[in-house]
This record gives sequence, C-alpha cells and structure tokens, in this order.
Amino acid sequence: MINTLRSEWIKLRTVRMNAVLAIIAVAFPLVITVLTALLIDSDSMDARNLIGLVTGTSVITGMLLGVIGASSITGEFGFNTIRPTFAATPKRSRVLVAKAILTIVVGIVVEAAMVALCYGIGSAILNGRGGDVAWSDAGNGRSALVGIVCFAGIVSLLGFGLGMLIRSTPAAIAVLILWPLVAEGLIGALLAVAGVEHPFKWLPYNAGINLGNPDAQTSADSLGQVAGGLYFLVVSLAVCAVGAWSTMTRDA
Amino acid sequence: MITVQGLTKRFGSKFAVANLSFDVHEARVTGFLGPNGSGKSTTMRCMLGLDRADAGQSLFSGKPYQQLDRPLHQVGALLDAGYVHPGRSGRNHLRWLAASNGLPTSRVDESLATVGLTEVGSKRVKTYSLGMKQRLGLAGVLLGDPHTIILDEPANGLDPEGIRWIRDVLVYLASQGKTILVSSHLLSEMALMANSLVVIGKGQLIEQCSVDDFVSRYGDHWVRVKSPRAGTLVEALQAGGATVQPLDESTIEVRGPSAAEVGELAARYQVTLHELSQQTGSLEDAFLKATAAVQEYTAGGVR
Repeated sequence: MINTLRSEWIKLRTVRMNAVLAIIAVAFPLVITVLTALLIDSDSMDARNLIGLVTGTSVITGMLLGVIGASSITGEFGFNTIRPTFAATPKRSRVLVAKAILTIVVGIVVEAAMVALCYGIGSAILNGRGGDVAWSDAGNGRSALVGIVCFAGIVSLLGFGLGMLIRSTPAAIAVLILWPLVAEGLIGALLAVAGVEHPFKWLPYNAGINLGNPDAQTSADSLGQVAGGLYFLVVSLAVCAVGAWSTMTRDA
Repeated sequence: MITVQGLTKRFGSKFAVANLSFDVHEARVTGFLGPNGSGKSTTMRCMLGLDRADAGQSLFSGKPYQQLDRPLHQVGALLDAGYVHPGRSGRNHLRWLAASNGLPTSRVDESLATVGLTEVGSKRVKTYSLGMKQRLGLAGVLLGDPHTIILDEPANGLDPEGIRWIRDVLVYLASQGKTILVSSHLLSEMALMANSLVVIGKGQLIEQCSVDDFVSRYGDHWVRVKSPRAGTLVEALQAGGATVQPLDESTIEVRGPSAAEVGELAARYQVTLHELSQQTGSLEDAFLKATAAVQEYTAGGVR
C-alpha cells in the first residue's frame, strides 16, 4: 500500500493543473480576505466576522479541491494511464483506496493551510489598523473553521467518487459544480411545489455546507452542523462506493 | 512461460476473442499476428486483467496476472505508447511506475539511458515524437527487469534505426531466456526476429508454430532456373505437368517439381543450367494466405 501511495502522490504532484488549482484554491480566499481587511472599517469586524468571511470564501476552495479529486481519476481515464496504472498494480481496490486517501489528505491540508493563512493574515491586518480581532473571542466560530476543513475533505472525496463514476473530466466537474449551484436549488423548489415539507433539509450539499455554519442547529428544516456534515459524508461515501464498484468491474 | 486457456471476450453480442488458447515459451520471440480487428490487442488486455475476460484464463508462470506481487518485476507490458499523461515528464512517468512496484529511482535513470532518452527525460511527454514515446514505453517495460515481456506494435512510429534497435533488444532479451510476446504489422521485421508465431483471426487461433513451419505450410514454393536453353527445358517441364512462368529469355520459374527433379530433367535433356534455386515465399505472403478467410476489412483494388 505504501508503494501505491508513493506512486499516486508522484502522479498527483507532477501534473501542473493540480498545482495551479491548489494555488488558486488558496489564493482566491486569501485575496478576498486581505482586500476586505484592508478596505473595511477595522472596528466593524471581530473574530467571528472574520471567520464568517473565511468560511464563506473557502467554499470556492472546497470546490476547486473537489475538481482536483475528480481529475485525479478522470485524467487517468482520459489519457488512458489507467491501463498502465492497473497493469502495475493489478489490485484495483488498492489504487482506488490510495487515491481516495491522498484526495482527502490533500483537500484537508490545503483547506487547513488556506484557513490558517486567511485568518492569520486577515487578523494581523485588521489589528494593525487598530481593530480588535482576538482568537479568544472566536467562540463557536472555531468549530466553523474545523467544519469547513472537513467540508473540503468531503467535497474532495465526492469529486473523486464522481470521477470514478463518470470517467470524463468536464462532465465530472460540471456535475460537481452545478449540483450545488443549480440542481439542489431546482430539486428543492420542485419538492416544495410538490408539497414536501423542508425539502432542502436532505439535499446533500445543502446539509454539508452547515459544517461551516456554527449556528446551524438541528431543527425541522436543518440537520445542523455535525449531523449535516455526517449526512454529506455518507452521501459522498455512497457515490465513491458506486464509483469504485464501477471501476473495479468494468474494463479499464 | 505464458499460458492462455480458452480466453473469451465479448463486446455486446460480438466475440472479440473466442475460446483462444496458446502458449508462449521462454527464450524465444513469439510473434502475435492477425489482421486488423482480429482481437490481438483485446487478448493482450485480457491477459493483463485490464479487460475482464468472459471466460478462460491467462497464466504467467502458472499464476494469473492479478495474483502477481509487484508485477513489473515479472511482466513488462507496453500496449500503447500513448498511455502517458502529456503534461508529465518522461522521467516522472517512469518514477510513478517504479514507485508502484517498489523499484528505486536509480532504475528509472538506467532505463532512460537504455532507451536513449536521458537527455529528454525531464521534458514533458507532449513534446515527444511517437518514436520517443515508444522508447519511453519500452523504458517502462524494462524497469523491473521482467522475465516476461508483452509488446503491442512496439515498432509503430520508430525510424529504421529504432526498428533495428528494438529488434536487436528483443532478440538479445530472448537469448537471455526471457519470454517475449510481440505483435506487429511489420511482417518483414517479424520474420527477422520471431522464432515462433501465434496467428489469430476473428478472435480464434489459426496457427501456432515456428516461423519456418508457418512459411513452409502457407507460403508459395517454386524453383528458379536460368539456362541458355530455357526453351527446351520449358517444353520438357510442361510435358511432365509442371507450371512454368518465363521471366525472360533465359530465366523461368517452375511450380510443381522440386529443384532436384528439375536438375535431373535438365541433365537428361543435356541442358546447361546457370542457376537452379529453390524459392520460398515471404512471411507476408504466408500470412495473407493463412488469414485470407478471416480478414475483417478488405481494401478495394486501385484503379
């Protein structure tokens, strides 16, 4: 397994697109945070506001990390490198598990780095401008930062699962991005029209995004922060399971 | 040794490979021949477990490929030189392959040197020519110094020097006791390097034998005769039922009798001979004759 992990790690970091996506994933929220910290009235922003800004912008990071997760397998199918991969490691499950582990780890590490950078630099700028942003005042906002890091790991896993299932890079990325932006909104609206109560509660992305919301409580129309995250994880694992079954049984 | 037993692969209702069985022995180059669409590539993919066979099995020294531990140490396969990420350097392509089987990075550099790609190893594969990709693929095959080698059209895109190089490499590896299965459409090359042949058509085995036996069985045979009195000899040969084709005033090709029989006939008629040689058709001729009934695609004549 160690050999397979090493091999997959070499693959992941020797494709330039992955590095570019990771840089954008970190740079985008960082630029937004820095600009906000520089331009906003420093007195109007405390630790919780800053955490809200970081978790809000880091959703983009999560999606980009999901794209890396998807392309780690769709790229293999697209360029047919899946064949030498499975020829070198005939136990396909070993390859898929190694890819899944790396996808999650990369998602969590990059997101955690981004969160740390954004909060650290943002609070430094605000405090330098006379603001009062203290970690001790963050309260339950800390759980939002942990939650959004977990969210990134789960989205990365979901992207990988969709990649296994769909095999096409553009299609997998389209589903990964359009599902939360378009599909869940449409499905929720249709279910509401059909008379279903609290239709958004069980929509996976809608539930998962609660990980970044420390105030999300379990209620009639929300699963809350932890349960919503767990539900999103279960759905992502189910997508991965179906994708893995497909990859292990179909011709490479 | 490779043993293929009753291998069957269907795509929908069409049989790509149908109950195919053959053996590939050590210390020889075995050519894997068949017309386009005959199932050669599918067979190779099934042998490596990349395509799921509907029936049958392939064994490498008695083990299915999927049960090989660190297979690059035992089997080196190149199915298509294009199976590389264009954005990755050649060296990095070999690095991940080597890492997957616990091979040291030093083997990557040795393999690159063996195929003559050391200088371009750090360049991205999308800048490589087809010939360079073939060499990179061969470097991947040689990484684990395997005892069994499977190559699908390895000479595609290679220049004459490259074609000769790969021929020499395969002949050398076979002389070292390795088992080599290689498919190619370059039948003249196959005639020069292969010891044995596995010929298939429409997914079924047509023949498995030595190259000499194959040519002897399916190739054309005739006797070439050169004589200042060819006319006299033609009459005598035709009277004996031979088929004679004059090439010029003094040269004829004779089908039917052997060279010895033609020589004895010439002596009986006191005809002086300047040349008397047994001729045998090429592997290409033999292949076309053997596979005439199973050609998937047949070209029309040129007007």
